[in-house]
Amino acid sequence: MKPQGNGSASSPAVETHELWKTFGEGDTAVHAVQNVSVTIGTGEFVALCGPSGSGKTTLVNLIGGLTDPTRGQVRVDGREVGGMSERERAQLRLDRIGFVFQAYNLLPVLTALENAEFPLMLRGVPRDERRAEVSKLFEHIGLGGLEDRRPGALSGGQQQRVAVARAVLGAPALVLADEPTANLDTQASDALLEVMEVLNRERGVTFIFCTHDPRVMRRARRIIRLVDGHVERDAEKESGELPSWVLDPVET
Amino acid sequence: MIERLMLIVRMALRNLRRQLRRSLLTASAMVLGIGLLMFIRALEGGAHLMYVETATRMGTGHIAMEHPDYMGSQDLADRIAAADLERAFRAVEETARPEELLAVFPQVNVGGLAQSASSSIPVRIGGVDPELERDVSFLADRVVEGRYLQPGDRLEGIVGVGVAERLRLELGSRLVLMAAGAGGDLESQLVLVTGIFRTGVPEVDRGVVQLPISTAREWLGLGDDATSMSVILASDDRTGSIADAVRERLRDEGVDADRIAVRPWWEAMPDLHAGLRADAVQTYVMLVILLGIVALAVVNSVLMAVLNRTREFGVMRALGLNRASVGAMVMVEGVILTFASGLLGMLLGLVISMGLFRDGVDISWLFGGDLAFAGAIVDPVITPAVLTVDVVAILSIVMTIGILASLYPAWHATRIEPAEAMKTDA
Repeated sequence: MKPQGNGSASSPAVETHELWKTFGEGDTAVHAVQNVSVTIGTGEFVALCGPSGSGKTTLVNLIGGLTDPTRGQVRVDGREVGGMSERERAQLRLDRIGFVFQAYNLLPVLTALENAEFPLMLRGVPRDERRAEVSKLFEHIGLGGLEDRRPGALSGGQQQRVAVARAVLGAPALVLADEPTANLDTQASDALLEVMEVLNRERGVTFIFCTHDPRVMRRARRIIRLVDGHVERDAEKESGELPSWVLDPVET
Repeated sequence: MIERLMLIVRMALRNLRRQLRRSLLTASAMVLGIGLLMFIRALEGGAHLMYVETATRMGTGHIAMEHPDYMGSQDLADRIAAADLERAFRAVEETARPEELLAVFPQVNVGGLAQSASSSIPVRIGGVDPELERDVSFLADRVVEGRYLQPGDRLEGIVGVGVAERLRLELGSRLVLMAAGAGGDLESQLVLVTGIFRTGVPEVDRGVVQLPISTAREWLGLGDDATSMSVILASDDRTGSIADAVRERLRDEGVDADRIAVRPWWEAMPDLHAGLRADAVQTYVMLVILLGIVALAVVNSVLMAVLNRTREFGVMRALGLNRASVGAMVMVEGVILTFASGLLGMLLGLVISMGLFRDGVDISWLFGGDLAFAGAIVDPVITPAVLTVDVVAILSIVMTIGILASLYPAWHATRIEPAEAMKTDA
């Protein structure tokens, strides 16, 4: 089963062209993303790495249409995100993109199950269908039996798994994940990464991770290293071994 | 779509429950405010019903029928002929249901002079039918000495306490009434004082004399004619429609408005009507001001709820919930809070009005004496009356305020930028 959506088969999943994001003005301006041009093909499994403050989260937010670029273009499935209305962007996120945010960001008044099925419900997936999908995934990632708990009654790791489930359920075309394995032990993070790998392999879902976690980077097939908002290295990875530059200190 | 709506409502309810203390504080302020407003309005409604009841029984009746020129001319030439009185009587009986109709009676009202052995003063002279008026007359309940008129009386009459004082009259005293008769000549009539009444209204107590209508007719040479006809109804609800129907029926019988003017009490007593309306408007203005304050409480509560959940709204937006749905979620929250408080407030108002003060509220301590309204002493015990129109009006105002008060917080929520919102702690 291919990921849902209507993007052109020949278009890359994500394409940025001379992308800039600047916060503030004048002397206090901070260039969070500087002149980033990358192309990520459909079905890629990409890790964005780099030190804190290097612009990973901002780049992911730009790709997801959560914030506007100061300059340059972002295309998702060949469609220019910057030219979309707010409503079109919301629809793009709903139909095509799954998000895993840095701090879980579950909705506290919804149960684990309701949180996970939230995007599916917005998409209009019938209740029985989405409940079945949630149950299956919850069993797989060790959340079985926790469906009716509110986030406040879940551990950090459990909340993170619900957040990941919310992003990947329904196999969106693109999953943007900001530190998805932070707060997870080895076993839990392996289980999650496995789910993501299966989705990537079998359904062609494109994954872009912001991460410091070597376990994630080992599974990635391409690593892009950001430093001070620009792309320092961008390389395909041949084996499970991590290239030394991934963990190098920042070159100044 | 329906499922999304249900989710919005479910989340709104859970959010209200999540901020239970704040929701309860806001709701209790609203419940108390609306409950008390409802009680105040019910008291006012009850008082108005009583005023109307008093005024109609003392004055023109719920429906007054008169020759259109009589009020201005006070000339007996402008009277209602016996045949028209008969037609008017039939028109009322055929229009109002029997259970609605308490009394229909003709009256003779003229201005004249009352003279005793000691003095003479100008008075209003009323010729009334003791049998028809005994049960509904305002004066019958206000006789403080002697008795009210009764069937069979001929020369007997009742006078206001002020008239008695000014003419030095006692029970059994004689006085002579003088007025212009139907023929235009001055006619006089002997009357024996058989009752003295006190209404508390100086103009009435100092200037009204009543005698049997048969005596008045004979004295003034009116035959079976009268100057007016009054209709007393069991309730004021259908006064307007009955008056319209009577007018219609009379017109069908060839009695046009230039022979009999049929007027509901608010046309016959415009000052009273204007007074009641001004009173009601005043209450509604107060109601709107108080509910405006309530609206600020709602704005505050809902806005705080939005500000405290900036991050959540950001997440929902990031997940693909559009601005309209985010706004709707906030609106629903505000409207549920207001509507539930409105209903509970109404319930509280009903319990206070119909339960705690079912037997009425004695406000005599406020006045220290008799309570007069529109020229009549009224009962100082006011029984609250919850009117449907008030319930609908208050609920509508509350709902409107709920919607208006939620607009700004909802607008604020729709402006939240996902990426910025997720950086916040709230």
